[in-house]
Amino acid sequence: MPPFKTPFNGYAVKFSPFYEQRLAVATSQNFGILGNGRIHVIDLSPAGPIAEIAAYDTADGVYDVSWSESHDSLLVAAVADGSVKLYDLSLPPTSNPVRSLSEHTRETHSVDYNAVRRDSFLSSSWDDTIKLWTIDRPTSVRTFKEHAYCVYSAAWNPRHADVFASASGDCTARIWDVREPGSTMILPAHEFEILSCDWNKYDDAVIATSSVDKSIKVWDVRNYRVPVAVLNGHGYAVRKVKFSPHRASVIASCSYDMTVCLWDYMVEDSLIGRYDHHTEFAVGVDMSVLVEGLLASTGWDEFVYVWQHGTDPKAP
Amino acid sequence: MYRRSFLERKGLTKEEIDEAFRRVPDESPSLSTTQPAVVNQGGQSQPTSNIQPQVPTQSLQPATAPSSKFGTRFHWSHALLAVGVLAISGAGTAVVFKNAVVPRLKSWIRKVVHEDDEKEDLANETDRKPTLAEEAAAAAKAAAAAASDVARASHEMLASKTEEKKYFGELLSLLDVQVQEMKSMSNSIRKLEGQSNSSGREVQVTNSRPPYTNGRTDYDSRSVRSLSPPPASVEPSATPSHPKSYMEIMSMIQRGERPPNIREINDLPPNPDQPVSNPRLAPKPKPWEATQSQGGTIYENNNGLQDNGAGPASVYSAEGSAPWWQQKNVRISEGEVEENKTGYNGGTSERPVQRSSWVPPQPPPVAMAEAAAAIRQPKKSMFEKEQQLTDEQFLARSTEVSDELQRITKISESGGVADGGGSGSLVGGNTSEIQREEEGAYYEA
Repeated sequence: MPPFKTPFNGYAVKFSPFYEQRLAVATSQNFGILGNGRIHVIDLSPAGPIAEIAAYDTADGVYDVSWSESHDSLLVAAVADGSVKLYDLSLPPTSNPVRSLSEHTRETHSVDYNAVRRDSFLSSSWDDTIKLWTIDRPTSVRTFKEHAYCVYSAAWNPRHADVFASASGDCTARIWDVREPGSTMILPAHEFEILSCDWNKYDDAVIATSSVDKSIKVWDVRNYRVPVAVLNGHGYAVRKVKFSPHRASVIASCSYDMTVCLWDYMVEDSLIGRYDHHTEFAVGVDMSVLVEGLLASTGWDEFVYVWQHGTDPKAP
Repeated sequence: MYRRSFLERKGLTKEEIDEAFRRVPDESPSLSTTQPAVVNQGGQSQPTSNIQPQVPTQSLQPATAPSSKFGTRFHWSHALLAVGVLAISGAGTAVVFKNAVVPRLKSWIRKVVHEDDEKEDLANETDRKPTLAEEAAAAAKAAAAAASDVARASHEMLASKTEEKKYFGELLSLLDVQVQEMKSMSNSIRKLEGQSNSSGREVQVTNSRPPYTNGRTDYDSRSVRSLSPPPASVEPSATPSHPKSYMEIMSMIQRGERPPNIREINDLPPNPDQPVSNPRLAPKPKPWEATQSQGGTIYENNNGLQDNGAGPASVYSAEGSAPWWQQKNVRISEGEVEENKTGYNGGTSERPVQRSSWVPPQPPPVAMAEAAAAIRQPKKSMFEKEQQLTDEQFLARSTEVSDELQRITKISESGGVADGGGSGSLVGGNTSEIQREEEGAYYEA
């Protein structure tokens, strides 16, 4: 499958939870430093290139995108001007975006949709806050302000509807409960900035964090003094981690060393796959919920690759 | 003797005259001396004669010496009385003197002294007033001196600040020069590497340290987006991994230029109250939300959702094989039956078809049954076995698969502890797979 070429530098890729063949890609012009952004919605076709079914332009770069778990045509985008924008694929492009929620005072770095409640989503920003939103409200429901530096990522717990974790440049990861006023746990997980975090889909107390220190650490929040596993192997900062929706101990990661790696942290030699198809920073990676083993990645080399684990991503 | 003669003329006999002279003492001395003797003897018998003449002399003598003759009986008491009176008067005067005169004297003295003291105080106060004024003057002088010192110090500080600014400016210009040199060097390095790809990775390895330092030092500089997040902080160090254009854009931003390819875009919602369209699909259960009926629902969903991907599904069903992303793997797995390396990969490739919405009502490809069974296993397992299955075997085992699926879902529900769990025949049946897995565990790209 030839990769999908984006005009701008890729920042995030996400599989749709409704359609197996559908992906959303967040891209930013000029490496996200300064410029426009674009969201692509692409469909895999059985025999042939990836087709684009929609594209939305933004004034500022798009750093992350997330699919709604309640509406099959709804997209949430994290935009570098601090806004969170909602797009509806079933509406004509001229009616989009359907919402632009501007409350963050700095760049919005990531968005994550709640897969349990299916009605709310989180936005993480460089203004050190995380905001909780629902589709029907024009303003945020809650703001979580505790981190001392940029919040790079927030991830909902796959089993508990009100629990989420956040990863920040202040070198801590925090566990939150939206019913509580503040964070319920602080994990000083790394000595350097933590760029991403994700929950184990099959063990609701296990979380993985990835950091500028080139490592991925897996933690059990019930005993967070010592990590369950430390995964070394990347040559540069690890930009994103994602737990497999199908395998309890499998983690996908992408790094500034331009590789996408697959790990199994329960095994002694944890690296189970390494893909170096990108020629620039690999910045986004996702594993399909609907199709087991299907991986997607994007990077600053302006390509989106979709491949099955075990195959060559660049194979035509 | 006159008297005698006198008395004789009167007619007194001599005896009578003697008697009278005896009775009244006479002044004549001769008579007086004899009188006391006469008095002392007690003049009862003899003195009578002598008394008469002595009485008149006696009466004369007390008149001349009244005190001595009169005080003969009252002498001591009179003296005592006089002494007493004198003493009392003296005491009285002393008391009066003490009570009245002395206090007056004392007060007068005190007054005098007080006057003297007041005079002294006045003198002191008048002395003090001049000292306060002097002190105030001295303080004012000191304050003026201090103010002048402060002014001097602030002048010096300003001067030093301007000096520092000068030095800082020089430093900045030097740094700029260095940055320019480094940029030119990196450009030349990139050019060299463009010529020889093999050196790319080595250079990457050597650049492993800078990401840390850049990540740390760029904490404070958040004004420029490119400097604040770690992605940007790491970039400058990874020289070979950036296309030229990245450095160009960075330098443009730092110079304050705006990259030319940016368009003005209005990305605001045209209708902020636009109602969100209704979903056309029901949310699908997640693989980790293990429910008993999940296996069944998946199949039903797959069948029911075919309309969404009608085109591709029909294509697939026509081909009788999985969509393209599984199709490839089937070929690979079939081609590498005995290869342990790709066993895992082949297995994973087979699994998704189970949940694929494209799965046609027809039985899925050969290996699906084993894959479906393997999906639910918490432990990694190899799937060479699946490759060996044939369609006939699948048909025969289709019912077994669904049962096993349900059992496996229960196992995974129980926390994924299926290694020691009672998965019964399933585990036994898969031991060979597990063994093969351990033989050749890792896929190598």
